[in-house]
Amino acid sequence: MVKVNGMGKTCPIPLIETKKAIKALISPDTVEVMVDNNMAVKNITRFATDNGYRVSTDKISDKEFKLTIEVKEIKSEEEKKLAESCATCGATDNTGNIVIAIGSEKMGCGDEKLGKNLMKAFIYSVSQGEVRPKTMLFYNGGAHLTCEGSLSLEDLNNLTELGVKIKTCGTCLDFYGLKDKLKVGEVTNMYDIVTTMEEASLVIRP
Amino acid sequence: MIEKKLCLVISFNKTIDAMAFEEYCLKNSVNGRLIPLPKEISAGCGLAWKCDVDNQKEIEKALSNLSIKCDKMTKLII
Repeated sequence: MVKVNGMGKTCPIPLIETKKAIKALISPDTVEVMVDNNMAVKNITRFATDNGYRVSTDKISDKEFKLTIEVKEIKSEEEKKLAESCATCGATDNTGNIVIAIGSEKMGCGDEKLGKNLMKAFIYSVSQGEVRPKTMLFYNGGAHLTCEGSLSLEDLNNLTELGVKIKTCGTCLDFYGLKDKLKVGEVTNMYDIVTTMEEASLVIRP
Repeated sequence: MIEKKLCLVISFNKTIDAMAFEEYCLKNSVNGRLIPLPKEISAGCGLAWKCDVDNQKEIEKALSNLSIKCDKMTKLII
């Protein structure tokens, strides 16, 4: 068993260390991760399930959680590359990986009220469009749009049902006191935001 | 796909009227929501109010209370 100590480490360090530990495995094994907050539990659990690993969580106390990740299959670097690339030309297949990054409640500069209405209209239009983004990222002031009281929740829920991933920055939810008010999608971190943008074929910032 | 249904769409002469109408409707729990002006109504840019088709009277009352004249009311499947 490989152990990762994420206690006392700020997000997203426990997730990064977990990824490194799994990547370093040379044979199937179990990775045990200790963390001290629920946000880290959610991030690591999502990473594990997204990658097909079985994960279980034991809550030892309010400030101590143990995650057990079962890695049953080790992919070689070549397999990982092949899985992400075109079988014939070898190019990375990120066609159609559209990401919409929303960093504000408002669209554009100028009148605040108009800006908020434009953003609502933008999200509505995305939900009605033929081409859908793969992921929508919400950070800084944009975090308000995925939380209680947002007039875009109906549209964002529709998008979720259509398979669009809605991700809101956890640091931002914390900063604005919205941690318990998230109503659609999941919590993410800067590491995931950067990876999502890097892997996109197109990033749209309204 | 999102299910489309017959709706009543109220378009306005000015964006500021649409925004004032939304503010009134939210405060007074009037059925509907603000949307971008559907392409079927006009190629121009603007905001419109979308609501259930059987809410016309409620909408007319709201417009009257606000002294706002809408551009038109259109029944549309969106």
